[in-house]
Amino acid sequence: MTDLQWARISNDAFNVALFAYIAAMIGSFVFLAFRRDAIWQVSRAIAVAGVAANLVSIAARGLAAHRVPWGNMYEYSSLLALLVVIGALVVLEGVYKVRSLTGFALMFSVLTMAVAVSFLYVGPGPLVPALDSYWIKIHVQAAIWGSSLFALGGIATIAYLIVDRAERRKLAALGSQSPPPIMGGSLDLDAVSSDAPDDLVADSAEDVRERPSERRLVPSAAGLDRLAYRIISVAFPIWTFAVIAGAIWAQEAWGRYWGWDPKETWSFITWVIFAGYLHARATSGWKGRRAAVIALVGFASLLVTYYVVNLWIVGLHSYAK
Amino acid sequence: MTSAQRPTLHQSVALVWRTLRSMRTALILLLMIGLASVAGSLLPQWPNSPERVIEYRAEHAFWGTFFDRAGLFDVFGSWWFVLLTTLLFVSLIACLVPRTRALWRALRTPPMHAREIDAFPCYTDMAVVAAPDVSLEAASHTLRRRRFRVARDPGRPALAAEKGVAREVGSLAFHWAFILLLAGVLYGKGTGFSGFAVVVEGQTWIDAQANYDGQIRTGRFFDGDFTGAGVRLRDFRSDFRRTGQPMDFVSEVDLLGPDGSVLGPADIRVNHPASIEGIRIYQINFGWAPTIEIRDRGEVIASGAVVMDRDPAPEGVEDFAMPWRGIVKQPGAGAGGADRAIELELWPDSRGLAALLQGDEPQAMLVEFDPIIRFTVWEGTLTDLSTNRLDTRLLDEVSTGILGAGRTADLADGRELTAGETASGSAISFPELRQYSVFQVSRDAGVPLVLAAAILILVGLLPALYGSRRKVWVRIDPDGEGARVRVGGLAMQRKPQFEDEFARLVDAIASAAGGARAQVPAPDDREPDDREKVQTR
Ligand code: HEM
Repeated sequence: MTDLQWARISNDAFNVALFAYIAAMIGSFVFLAFRRDAIWQVSRAIAVAGVAANLVSIAARGLAAHRVPWGNMYEYSSLLALLVVIGALVVLEGVYKVRSLTGFALMFSVLTMAVAVSFLYVGPGPLVPALDSYWIKIHVQAAIWGSSLFALGGIATIAYLIVDRAERRKLAALGSQSPPPIMGGSLDLDAVSSDAPDDLVADSAEDVRERPSERRLVPSAAGLDRLAYRIISVAFPIWTFAVIAGAIWAQEAWGRYWGWDPKETWSFITWVIFAGYLHARATSGWKGRRAAVIALVGFASLLVTYYVVNLWIVGLHSYAK
Repeated sequence: MTSAQRPTLHQSVALVWRTLRSMRTALILLLMIGLASVAGSLLPQWPNSPERVIEYRAEHAFWGTFFDRAGLFDVFGSWWFVLLTTLLFVSLIACLVPRTRALWRALRTPPMHAREIDAFPCYTDMAVVAAPDVSLEAASHTLRRRRFRVARDPGRPALAAEKGVAREVGSLAFHWAFILLLAGVLYGKGTGFSGFAVVVEGQTWIDAQANYDGQIRTGRFFDGDFTGAGVRLRDFRSDFRRTGQPMDFVSEVDLLGPDGSVLGPADIRVNHPASIEGIRIYQINFGWAPTIEIRDRGEVIASGAVVMDRDPAPEGVEDFAMPWRGIVKQPGAGAGGADRAIELELWPDSRGLAALLQGDEPQAMLVEFDPIIRFTVWEGTLTDLSTNRLDTRLLDEVSTGILGAGRTADLADGRELTAGETASGSAISFPELRQYSVFQVSRDAGVPLVLAAAILILVGLLPALYGSRRKVWVRIDPDGEGARVRVGGLAMQRKPQFEDEFARLVDAIASAAGGARAQVPAPDDREPDDREKVQTR
């Protein structure tokens, strides 16, 4: 097949993936509203088909351009969307048995891909020399993996804040009539966390998983909090590695490993915020909602690093074109 | 009311130290550095883009001056950024020293024995086949095989064991690595330098102060010791796609040792610097450098390559569509001893000039194709000898002309001379078009330290985030033919995983001690064990 045909296949598969994700997203939300297992099965099948199309699109892009298919923002967006959906299906649904967040993860991917086709599309072509390096392949992969995990962590954090608020409301409503229920670590987070002031790593999967007996669709606030924490604590070292790989590449390409270029600066800011999040979790009294806010600021900073810096702030990192 | 109430100097220092030691202080400092970085990424910065700072200051008179005073145009070099960083690192050290000492002490003291082990979150009471001393040995062996540090209670058949210091070791390694990082940055920047070298094809460049183009950025402790090593640029190649997107830039060079000997060939390209004698040479830029000869009545009075700069492209025009400019200045070479200046405008691909003259779309000039130079000759008085600008206030235009490669023209009237014709006065010729390469040359001896720190950060981070400290206690008592084995356990982190690990550990101890016998009743159902109470008191 010719390059042009591959390029066309890539674009078509991209659109297929985007529409599959949209359908699966709608399905996931309908499932949340009506809680029919059949709806979940169907939307999951559509999401898997979307993943397949997304993979085809990325592979065809690589074949059309004769290089790794992650050389510009359009391509990163495609890969990021793919990883977030896979993360939702494999990590959230598979490992943690949380089905209620998949729709939000799909929404993230849909937005990412929609922005990519609308504003960031470029045809497949070779890389500019500055990007043509061994290290940037590693650097970009790490950055995208880290970003996709941060995105999932951000989604879990938002869900945590919503559920936590609902639980507090419920507790307040109950409190005015009857004494608060005895059960549920999730109801009084600070009391729970002060039991384990130096517990930097959330207690395992078991706490997050929905117990089959409980048949709860939405995990408890405490469970979501721990889920967010676990995901972010995996994303963080990957992001750290991405920043280091970027510095090594900068040393090769520009003769300095760090120059406070806007891209470097913002990945550092993102790093600092998540480092602050991890420290906050280690300090009792800063768990729960306050730490969650830090995680959301970190998530926002990630979006700035990704979009604002590439598109609006001038720097040496010339991928946007 | 008097000095008695005022804190003494010692108390004040202690207070500052305590404040700095707290993690909250470090967090606030880290946050402030983050905020400063935001400002540094939103405002143009002197070291990265001086022209944009000047533009910004011209457009925003008040804020420009304000930001400038506040150091916001050079955030990362401002005194307050340095102060914040210093405080952060002092805080970090203040917190790391006691933590490291505590870890050191903990590593050298054996695990602590516990008195009541049935109060731990994980607890098992079982009866095993083997005799008490054999069971103790078996338990100890099992724990050791699982990399627990095991201590035997001198007074009783009991063990204390612990595992998972990697967490604290990793955390400390990770935090200390930032000190190493800072040391590497300061050492590298302090003793290093960075500058630009412009080398025309066929020329040799030697690492010496005078041979750098423009300013050299040197560290405070730079010893002024240039290596004398160098490069000879044999050939420069650039490849473009038809769209004008660059594909590759390569400088083919010979590397020269300090004694001038050729060390060997090297290709310097983007992402592939060359190293000699501790300096690194990076491909940064390139351009055109026509060779020019000027003859006076047939005799060569000046010759050499003129390094040219490309005109900045207006909005919507490709960079490579613009012509290149250079100036030749010759004091006293004009008529009657006046100074002479020749402005040169190079079109490396003459189709670009043709397009301009015909009013067509500007055309990118990516390759050499019938290169052409338009020149203007001035005479009068030169106010300076710089090669990148011409002050024409004291000069008069003498002539203009066009010069193709390999041609000669008369400077007096700009007319092209035919082969064999000599000018009555001076003539200019353009024997060939060459390219030049711009290299960044730098030395940063701190890079290995910084790399080591980066590796340590990553390696330390993993156990710091995922490790967990666990403690296990074992108590053995005689029980009929065999022994009664009680095991208690506690995990500081990852408690649910520890429950599984604990169960497996207990199984392993039981099978090492000859297997479990019928289970002893759970502690709640048993009667108080008087013998045990006496023993512990
Ligand atoms: C980025 C990931 C980081 C992680 C996961 C991390 C983790 C930790 C942990 C686990 C502690 C001990 C908390 C406790 O004992 O309560 C700690 C303390 C501390 N960290 Fe970090 N840290 C990180 C980055 C940093 C950075 C970049 C700095 C500053 C340069 C820093 C400065 C400190 C300070 C000053 C303390 C206080 C030590 C104490 O009070 O014992 N940390 N960190």
